[in-house]
Amino acid sequence: MDRREEHLDELPSMGSAFARALVPSRAKTAKIPQHVAVVEDQRQDLARLAEYNRVCGFTLRDSVPPTWLHVLTFPLHVHLLGAPDSSVKLVGAVHVSNSMTLHRPVGLGEKLQVRVHIDNLRPHKRGAMIDLLGEIRVGDETVWNGTSTYLATGMSAPGEVEDIERQPFDPLQPQAKWRLAKDLGRRYRRVSHDPNPIHTSKVAAKAFGFARPLIHGMWTHARALSALEGRLPETYSASVSFLRPILLPGTVGFAASPTPQGFDAAVTNRDGTKAHLLMGVTGAP
Amino acid sequence: MNSNAVIVGGNRTPFAKAGGPYAQASSHDLLTSAIDGLAARYGLSGKQLGEVAAGAVLKHPRDFNLTREAVLSSSLAPTTPACDLQQACGTGLEATIYIANKISLGQIDSGIAGGADSASDAPITVSEPLRKALLAANAARSTGDRLKALARIRPSHLKPLAPGVNEPRTGLSMGEHQALTTKRWEVTREAQDELAAASHHTLAAAWDNGFFDDLVTPFLGVAKDSILRPDTSVEKLSKLKPAFGGPEGTMTAGNSTALSDGAATVLLSNEQWAKDNHLPVLAKFVDANVAAVDHPAGDDLLLAPVGAVGHMLERNGLTIEDFDLVEIHEAFASTVLATLKAWESEEYCTSLGLKGAIGTLDRSKLNTMGSSLAVGHPFAATGARIVPSLAKMLHDLGPGKRGLISVCAAGGQGVVAILEAV
Repeated sequence: MDRREEHLDELPSMGSAFARALVPSRAKTAKIPQHVAVVEDQRQDLARLAEYNRVCGFTLRDSVPPTWLHVLTFPLHVHLLGAPDSSVKLVGAVHVSNSMTLHRPVGLGEKLQVRVHIDNLRPHKRGAMIDLLGEIRVGDETVWNGTSTYLATGMSAPGEVEDIERQPFDPLQPQAKWRLAKDLGRRYRRVSHDPNPIHTSKVAAKAFGFARPLIHGMWTHARALSALEGRLPETYSASVSFLRPILLPGTVGFAASPTPQGFDAAVTNRDGTKAHLLMGVTGAP
Repeated sequence: MNSNAVIVGGNRTPFAKAGGPYAQASSHDLLTSAIDGLAARYGLSGKQLGEVAAGAVLKHPRDFNLTREAVLSSSLAPTTPACDLQQACGTGLEATIYIANKISLGQIDSGIAGGADSASDAPITVSEPLRKALLAANAARSTGDRLKALARIRPSHLKPLAPGVNEPRTGLSMGEHQALTTKRWEVTREAQDELAAASHHTLAAAWDNGFFDDLVTPFLGVAKDSILRPDTSVEKLSKLKPAFGGPEGTMTAGNSTALSDGAATVLLSNEQWAKDNHLPVLAKFVDANVAAVDHPAGDDLLLAPVGAVGHMLERNGLTIEDFDLVEIHEAFASTVLATLKAWESEEYCTSLGLKGAIGTLDRSKLNTMGSSLAVGHPFAATGARIVPSLAKMLHDLGPGKRGLISVCAAGGQGVVAILEAV
């Protein structure tokens, strides 16, 4: 399907777009914008990337982590979910899973075209599911794409509810312990530019039913990838399921094991009995 | 089982001025980049090597295992062991000696030596009274004791401290020490500026000729040593104001090395390992030596390599004429010039216990592809920059060609080595 392209001069600053995306929707039926939001010639800021790498545990290299490219698409997620023709709003939408493929190493000096659209509106037993589909191009070449799946709780969507198999998780012995400091939410906000106060404010977190702020799921994803740094192939796909939020400050466990295609990894509670995030990495064909 | 340690090749980042393009990079980032480039060049991804030895002079406490952590971030097999080693500006060469010795003794078949430094990301520490108070508070068993410890902190204790650049025993900076040497050995401003200009011109020519194509991998958008000024001249350099030695001083920012960021690595192995892995061999690592001077008693701080070279030549039965190329690290232009004068001095050399003067160097053999004045000098990286470059130059000249390396270091130490082309 040919989608209308909305060209933005730059990645929208998240303040106002975020405010719009936060306004709760009274609609019960999930509706999504059909167009693609596009930003051309996006430069990457070295200082911000360096700090992103420090916060997430990556070594600063000439090629950037794929999760950093996701961060660059995120303002367009917010922009689309704040659009008038979106009845799905960020508030109440839960990021349930994410997948991304790095098709080739992306250099920090490369100018990027960032594209995002929403698709695959489908029913779920607790609401409606949507995919935010991001793509990064250099010239005509797709260098990265990602799918962020959100669940809009309480909304309806046409179609049959599919049975989604819950990823099995067997308790494991963590190989590493990550101590997440209280200020991690703030440090990640500075580099991700995601202003969602649920990651930084106790009051906001309480409003959503959490005792303390939660670390951003995409930080946990990035940290799990950086733990495998040096062993990751040049191009790969990574998919994660966000199973349980991680409260700050907190201590979590991490374990990874090689698979024929790449790695399976889990971020768990301290003793490895419950999973916060499951990640699979496979080398790109 | 004893075997020859050979130099397979090297890789480094381009070097850059502190606070420049690598301002955001840590020593860890720089060293990882240099190792990864080496691994890419010689097909070492996923391979387990005998050992990696490297270091940094400016070191954060978090980098207590800098080299091992860089190995883990790199594409080398995570089962490759590593150690940190530090001998000020001699670090890169001392790390090479360590790896070469292990190879020669048959303890390892292959290894990487290196060094990284970021003067941009230098550690800032807290003052000694503040540190003591914090340690006491940490060790306190009761809240009262903790508060008592913390109550000792005064506002003046809160001033952060930059890493010391002065020699601890003399209070003189390296430049001030060298200014004394410059005066004592009567090294002229003209000679220093000529050497500095030559360093830039020969380095520029080496870059133009593609000499560094298989020795350097770009990093963070920098493809070439960024301190290099191909268009500098003796005339331009002669206009700079003295930086050391007072108003009458002859040492300027132009004939002294700049604070730099960068990392360098060398791949060494025994001959069999190189053959088994279908890798080239540039040169043999023949011998090395370390010496020190008594600078607190007034010796020339940066002339320690003179004794190191002299004794190494004597034990190998070699004279300075037996060398085809000579690399003397340009800490300052006047360090190189004073070193050459010291080599020629019967009196100085015999005072070091040598049989006589080391001799006069044919200057056309000296630093033929530029040195630290033009390349830059990330302290720990310099030795590991020189070794593969010299090995390649010797290899290009043909089998049996000999090269000498002389590196001066803080603390009045000198590290030197002999390479021979294969």
